[in-house]
Amino acid sequence: MAQSETNSAEELMTAYLDHEMDAEESEAFEAMLADSPETQEELSDLRQVLQLVQGLPEVEAPPDFFEKVAKKIRRRKLLDGEIPLFITVSFQVLSVLVVLVIAAVYTMIHLDRDPAAKLEKDPKAAVAEVEGDAEARGEPGGAAVPQASPAPDAAPPGSSPPASAD
Amino acid sequence: MSTGGATAKEGDRGSASDEAGGVTIDAKTAQRMEQDRRDKILVRRLKAGDERAFQELVQTYQNRVFGLVFRMIGNRQEAEDLAQDVFLTVYKAIGSYRGEGRFYTWLYRVASNTCKNRIKYLKGRHFNTRVDVDDNTEAQMPSREGGALHSLQSQVPGPEAMIQGQRLQRAIQRELANLDEEHRLLIVLRDIEGLPYADIMRITGLPAGTVKSRLHRARVALKERMKSYLR
Repeated sequence: MAQSETNSAEELMTAYLDHEMDAEESEAFEAMLADSPETQEELSDLRQVLQLVQGLPEVEAPPDFFEKVAKKIRRRKLLDGEIPLFITVSFQVLSVLVVLVIAAVYTMIHLDRDPAAKLEKDPKAAVAEVEGDAEARGEPGGAAVPQASPAPDAAPPGSSPPASAD
Repeated sequence: MSTGGATAKEGDRGSASDEAGGVTIDAKTAQRMEQDRRDKILVRRLKAGDERAFQELVQTYQNRVFGLVFRMIGNRQEAEDLAQDVFLTVYKAIGSYRGEGRFYTWLYRVASNTCKNRIKYLKGRHFNTRVDVDDNTEAQMPSREGGALHSLQSQVPGPEAMIQGQRLQRAIQRELANLDEEHRLLIVLRDIEGLPYADIMRITGLPAGTVKSRLHRARVALKERMKSYLR
């Protein structure tokens, strides 16, 4: 009973200080205050404290706050074995990266198809390929090119003749 | 019945008027409803995996969360780390947010729980809360005319107003940091952040009567600690 009365008095004091009472409740509370100098003093002290607390300046997060949060998330994802998302990479940077990757892939494909480029890399392989193409087309120029390897049915030089069946 | 101030008219703010049951609403309420609407969209986008929405949410609430955490912990470096952790938790747990109530009350609940856990952890490690009020020079405060710092300084007459004002700030922050964390949270939410009781109830999970009586005890405890600075 006494505890609930205390709670009620505390609630009233808070509501009064915070202007959360209607006119009737305020009047009743003020009438009660008039008979209690101690409560008046307490109210005055509490008002001063509230004024000081409410006067505290606002604080701001550092300007790079989001970047730090994003970094923390990436690190946590790596620790958890997840693929980090590019949450801090700006759209422009991402676009440049995509263009570079496409250009690199295109260049590699193009190099594989271009014999001239192969010649630069491996002249012998390129010559063999050119010769093969010429033979397939039946061009005479192809015979002038020396054979890179002997015919499969020719006997290797220095090998013994086949044994006679006598 | 009008509650005064600017009234929400039909048209682009018609939904605000409808939600209030056809009652005209003041500018502050309209602004709050607009923020809630924006938050809902951002949360939906974040749940769908839109990282940009997360960035917008962080940038919208970083100062408020940092402010709450700083006042709870009293140390700028520790507060920064903790505020980052709050958003990390939000990022991971956004799927569990069901959209009931206002988003910021859920965010503040995450922030207050993170603070309480860190305070317990730091107590266990006998961390001596260093009050970083020296960091709160005017250069690092929001530069607005007649700001809170100005109002605190103006309470102290004389040419040494600034020094005395800073001394008071230091004292309040120190004594606040020495309060029980439940009391500290209520003072920060109500008297520093200026939240309405209804939102404090959602954040703390306490009924209205308990919020009011505990808030009174918290204020009395702070008053006792600040006695030498009063009058």
